[in-house]
Amino acid sequence: MASLLSSSCPSSSSSSLLRNGSSALAMRVILPHSPEFLGLRRGKPTAILAAAAAGGKRYWGTAIREEKLAEMIEKKVAEAMEACEGEALGSEGCRVAWDEVEEVSMAKADLRRRIADSGADPLEHFCQGNPDADECRIYED
Amino acid sequence: MAVCSAYASPSLRTPCSIHPTGSTQHLIFFTGDPRRPPRRPPVSCSAESNTVVIGLAADSGCGKSTFMRRLTSVFGGAAAPPKGGNPDSNTLISNSTTVICLDDYHSLDRTGRKEQGVTALDPRANNFDLMYEQVKALKEGKPVEKPIYNHVTGLLDPPELIKPPKILVIEGLHPMFDARVRSLLDFSVYLDISNEVKFAWKIQRDMAERGHSLESIKASIEARKPDFNAYIDPQKQYADCVIEVLPTELIPDDNEGKVLRVRLVMKEGVKHFSPVYLFDEGSTISWIPCGRKLTCSYPGIKFFYGPDAYYDHEVSVLEMDGQFDRLDELIYVESHLSSLSTKFYGEVTQQMLKHADFPGSSNGTGLFQTVVGLKIRDLFEQIIAEKSAAPVEASKV
Repeated sequence: MASLLSSSCPSSSSSSLLRNGSSALAMRVILPHSPEFLGLRRGKPTAILAAAAAGGKRYWGTAIREEKLAEMIEKKVAEAMEACEGEALGSEGCRVAWDEVEEVSMAKADLRRRIADSGADPLEHFCQGNPDADECRIYED
Repeated sequence: MAVCSAYASPSLRTPCSIHPTGSTQHLIFFTGDPRRPPRRPPVSCSAESNTVVIGLAADSGCGKSTFMRRLTSVFGGAAAPPKGGNPDSNTLISNSTTVICLDDYHSLDRTGRKEQGVTALDPRANNFDLMYEQVKALKEGKPVEKPIYNHVTGLLDPPELIKPPKILVIEGLHPMFDARVRSLLDFSVYLDISNEVKFAWKIQRDMAERGHSLESIKASIEARKPDFNAYIDPQKQYADCVIEVLPTELIPDDNEGKVLRVRLVMKEGVKHFSPVYLFDEGSTISWIPCGRKLTCSYPGIKFFYGPDAYYDHEVSVLEMDGQFDRLDELIYVESHLSSLSTKFYGEVTQQMLKHADFPGSSNGTGLFQTVVGLKIRDLFEQIIAEKSAAPVEASKV
């Protein structure tokens, strides 16, 4: 299954990447809490639970972004720690690795803020115009 | 990516005339040669293009910063991402203002930067030619197809159409880096966050995330310093206005970063910009408003105002240390500040209250961001008034 946010398709937009990833989903019923759900770990993203509890509608696209960003942060911090070990501290690779961590941390924080701020899902505008997009399926527990 | 420069868009606000006749109005259609990207067409727009360009240098991401939200609020309306386009767009549009994130001019995507061993802070990762071309086009009243850098995927997405707004804000790491882009800016602001405050803010931002720890946050800031000091920090000297955020001096050994000392450094002699002052312009004032008329809770509020030199420029500095606890403290302070460019008494307080939930609403960051927003509005109105009084030939393409 294609990794959602891989950089192997440089010419595709992010939304088409998501669409490609989830078309395989349509082939069989996959419950959101199962591990096959696009390679996610077991267990539901707790941020979504909190949002659902608050009564807000969550689009699948937002849920997936949140989870993916959280995973990327973890992964990139580990990569950066490794890239900066010993002699490599201060090297190019070390600096680039921490820059990536900063980028995804900022993106995650921004997504968190957008969700918390408006009450409406950040994808609301997009989904009003594209109700059939995969990203605009309602995320259900 | 072939961009068809057909200026038939009905949304174009500015009539473009053929240079050098100046009086006829034509719309030029270009069918681009697909082998060659279209170069700038020989069309100049009349002075009715009233796009004012503001540069904002900030290391806190794009269009997400509180400053942007306060600024767009001063002009009225809420800024929102472009409707119906790429949901990961960084652009914000309100009825008068468009905020462009300069990360969209990355020449290298995340993979490319990793391969070349450059961070996003490095000028080598950014296309300054395109940045200059497009900001110039927007300033002249021409729409552009601006690339989108997707921060989630780390890829460069297909471009989005940006129509020339009344106020264009370019926000990011390098608004003042390139001399040509600098020449297009009508006003520029640099947000200078000290390392201690940066550390405290990043802890607040990142500690809740899986994967982050105090060590990782510290290491991340340390690793970022060399590139930041080499490429970003030197832009300070070009800014018309610098907002410095420092740890408070009112609480000894404070490391929470909640109470802040904020300095508004304002260049003297900038066109259309009159610095804010306290009591007596050009003098040096130290002011603690808390006393008999105003009771403040710990740690109180302390103001300073005075002339200074900043990178060989004459500046005026207005400084606030401490925080506002109550509405009447804010009103009291506003009533003693001069040259705020408010349209009515209490406008600063009203704007602060409107966004009481924004970070910085109880200290100098919110206050000075709001004041700078009002200054930018004033600058915009002065420029418009100037242009409509005396029609000017647009600069040659």
